[in-house]
Amino acid sequence: MRVVDAHADDDIATCEDAEGSRSDVLIGLVAPVAIGDLLLVHAGTALLRLHTNAGDAA
Amino acid sequence: MKFVDEFRNAELGRSVSQQIGALVDPTHHYKIMEVCGGHTHTIYRYGVSDLLPPNVELVHGPGCPVCVIPMGRIDDAIAVARTPNVIFTCFGDMMRVPGSSGTLLEAKAEGADVRMVYSPLDALRIAKQSPDREVVFFAVGFETTAPSTALTLMRARAEGIRNFFCFCNHVTIIPPLRALLESPDLRLDGFIGPGHVCTIVGARPFEFIPAEYGKPVVISGFEPLDMLYSVYMILRQLSDGRCEVENQYTRVVPYDGNPQAFRVLSEVFELRPHFEWRGLGFISQSGLKLSDAYRDFDAELRYTVPGVRIADPKACQCGEVLKGVIKPWECKVFGTACTPEHPIGTCMVSAEGACAAYYNFGRITREREAV
Repeated sequence: MRVVDAHADDDIATCEDAEGSRSDVLIGLVAPVAIGDLLLVHAGTALLRLHTNAGDAA
Repeated sequence: MKFVDEFRNAELGRSVSQQIGALVDPTHHYKIMEVCGGHTHTIYRYGVSDLLPPNVELVHGPGCPVCVIPMGRIDDAIAVARTPNVIFTCFGDMMRVPGSSGTLLEAKAEGADVRMVYSPLDALRIAKQSPDREVVFFAVGFETTAPSTALTLMRARAEGIRNFFCFCNHVTIIPPLRALLESPDLRLDGFIGPGHVCTIVGARPFEFIPAEYGKPVVISGFEPLDMLYSVYMILRQLSDGRCEVENQYTRVVPYDGNPQAFRVLSEVFELRPHFEWRGLGFISQSGLKLSDAYRDFDAELRYTVPGVRIADPKACQCGEVLKGVIKPWECKVFGTACTPEHPIGTCMVSAEGACAAYYNFGRITREREAV
């Protein structure tokens, strides 16, 4: 999911998935985040920030 | 889409499939266990096993968090849900898991206030919106999901929320793997490691498998090419006479995990002395409970739960499916009495369950293993 709104004083960011659906995501494991960051989200929590230039494995 | 399209490339898939075919010893029957239910889903959704030689068998492991919850814990959840003034929240698939006398969905139909949520944060939001009610979250899942529960409880405590409780059923992945490796029922050549659990714990905790049991492990992503290439990496190790932990999912998994997640988990949870797993019985230090610092949020201390161990229905063979001893279609009730619409066992409920994956994608060869 991509971060579309984040506040420095909160551990929640608003994120948008590929279909445009938005939800609040806990970012305590990856903070701080910036608008536009791509996050791997599971059960409402960001597990890590994805680096879009990561090498392909296969 | 980035991180998706490039890992579903059919041409690359055929190429890896050919390399796998050139690598295997035709006189050996390889058994590789995919630990995670997400991997099982990928295998049958995309037909990954159809691209493998007939002597390379993928065996499904105990990594579906819904599937491993025993019936007694479902009964406990239903008892809490029926408590007056309680709003009981859980992930959608948990609502359909049968206990000894019904499901949470049936309890809801009978009047209990059971609500589906997508995250523990949703449950906390309900608690804040309903200050005159008590809201309980049914926490299930491995190390991937446990940080979400932990962060939510930390937030609840920071905000002074007093009507939010957690019925904790989080489990850890390493103890059941060790139990499986000690089992005389199963001969395995290697493991496909659970990619998303490893975003939290890293790959290092799996080093005991090659070190103590001489089996290779490859941590894998969840797209079809991820899985094919992970099978190739395991076979490559076997062919080279190597045995180690390798990380195929480098775009996501740091080898040493997420240190912030370790801090969060250790603050909110502590290990139970033992925890019951469906099909595997009681396994020492395999389950999490809330730490003393969070005891005020512990639903097991707040409410009376039966705490009775319930044996699985005799017809159900989920336990053997979860240990990889039988294929789902070998279960006596698969596809007849037990279907996704009317599941008897947990493996038919969750999208990550091996039985549901077989049933929904129809990839059933019905060829028994010939070893």
